[in-house]
Amino acid sequence: MSLFFQQWQGELLKLFARRRTYIGFVAFLALEIAILIIFRLKGVERVFERMIARQGMAFEQYYSALTLAFMILGISVVLLGAIYLALVAGDIVAKEGEDGHYRLLLVRPISRSRLLLIKYLTCMGYTFVLIQFITWSAFGLGLALKGWGGGFFVMAPEIGLLSFYDWDFGLQRFALASLFLSCSMMTISSIAFLFSCLPIKPAAATIGALSYFIIDRILKETGFMENYDHLLLTKHIVSWTRLLVEDIPWPIIIRDYTALAAVCLTCLILGIAIFESRDLKS
Amino acid sequence: MALLEVRNLTKRWRNDRLALDDVSFDLRQGEILGLLGHNGAGKSTVLGITLGMVRPDRGEVRICGDSVQQHRARALSHVGAIYEAAHFYDYLTGWQNLRVLCSLSGWWDETEARRILKLVNLGERANHKTKTYSHGMRQRLALAQALLPMPKCLLLDEPTDGLDPEGIREFREFVMKLRAEFGMTILINSHLLGEVELMCDRCVILKQGRKMYEGPVPSQEKSQSAFILQTRDVVKAREVISAAAATMDSVTSKVELPTHTLGHEMLKLLVESGVRVDSWQPYQPTLEEFYRQQTGL
Repeated sequence: MSLFFQQWQGELLKLFARRRTYIGFVAFLALEIAILIIFRLKGVERVFERMIARQGMAFEQYYSALTLAFMILGISVVLLGAIYLALVAGDIVAKEGEDGHYRLLLVRPISRSRLLLIKYLTCMGYTFVLIQFITWSAFGLGLALKGWGGGFFVMAPEIGLLSFYDWDFGLQRFALASLFLSCSMMTISSIAFLFSCLPIKPAAATIGALSYFIIDRILKETGFMENYDHLLLTKHIVSWTRLLVEDIPWPIIIRDYTALAAVCLTCLILGIAIFESRDLKS
Repeated sequence: MALLEVRNLTKRWRNDRLALDDVSFDLRQGEILGLLGHNGAGKSTVLGITLGMVRPDRGEVRICGDSVQQHRARALSHVGAIYEAAHFYDYLTGWQNLRVLCSLSGWWDETEARRILKLVNLGERANHKTKTYSHGMRQRLALAQALLPMPKCLLLDEPTDGLDPEGIREFREFVMKLRAEFGMTILINSHLLGEVELMCDRCVILKQGRKMYEGPVPSQEKSQSAFILQTRDVVKAREVISAAAATMDSVTSKVELPTHTLGHEMLKLLVESGVRVDSWQPYQPTLEEFYRQQTGL
């Protein structure tokens, strides 16, 4: 086991020594600040005010740091999350091949499947760290603007959710939902990882994974697949918002995350099988 | 005892080109073996299969008795290697590169790493990013990574490619030192015949995926069937030689004896026939001559 962690440590050192790894963090922070500035515009604030007031709640109480963080999160993860995760995961195997690093790595006494497992875990680790960073930096920005306390106004139209919580309860649910959001986004990383194992350029792997995700989303949004939407990833990915329902629908959540875990596992196994069958010679 | 056994390797690429055709040879404990061949002869494919990078259609490679094809990790724990051009992580320092690579072997010893870096003359530049390294420094770092942890056997694929003459000389001396001080067994894949001639005990010659020769480096052995004759009586000497069913090259003065005729017998015949022999030396072919003979190139 210590050998495995030693090998994983080497992979993490490579990942976090690259400037490219941090682009996602910087880009998200910039985007969150931009969204926050937009939210501060009078017109936008009035829209929120009307939405909250229509439910008979006090705007000043529920337009809080948590509400802002949740809204920033919803917008920024959808806009940029998939791109940055696909960029890193699409690179992780293919880029090493393109740069000729396997000639150094695979002359070492390590099996290909073990090397890929280490890379996959690194990808998942990166996904978790990036999503948590996005979550808590959005919350931090919300705090800077609105301060501690208030209520939590949740609006998630994809699952028909509109709720109001007090601060403590809302913060707990927000934290729990962020953990599940990290797990959801691991599916996108897994798809990019699978593409990365194919004998293609890293950019092609990233574009391939993003295309899959975007087509999946379009099919869901347009309603063409209404009767078969259980086959669409995006249907299961949004399940993290169900953690914000007052009575958490655990059976649905377990079903959705089992489907996502199966997709992740399939991507890993297929990726290893493809990589194992390749001849690595220039 | 063979430390590395290459057995019946056959490989056909997807475009149906035959890369290797039933290639077998041994690398014995403590020897330096040269793997020779023209571009595309299959040298790197042999090394690729030996390192588990390429899958053979048939045959296998055993290192210290462990099959690379069946127990890759165990088999490769005995070797250090430079395979094709070494591409390091440019955004990491030389030291960090070694750390990442050694972590895959589940081994790290700072004292030993420093010692090896000093051995390859990279001690002072170890903490600089490898993007600032010259080609020679990269090759030295590649050698350092191959020696960490110290292997029983070193596999080097075109290790002097792109090095200047001084770099090639340094490398040669280093390889000889590794054998002399650590008793290391070394396989060198190269097309620099002069270097192989100077470093290797034996060589294997490949041509279009087929083994043409395996044995001692020819230039290290004096021929018993060919001699260089120096004489002022060239015409007379040629007559005597022809009469004895031997041949003499008019340019090189190389005399090829027929089977069962010994060198001293021919010399005696020449002298008795009145040919003034200035010198009669056993012919010592260069590796290049031998290589051309074997490959027909």
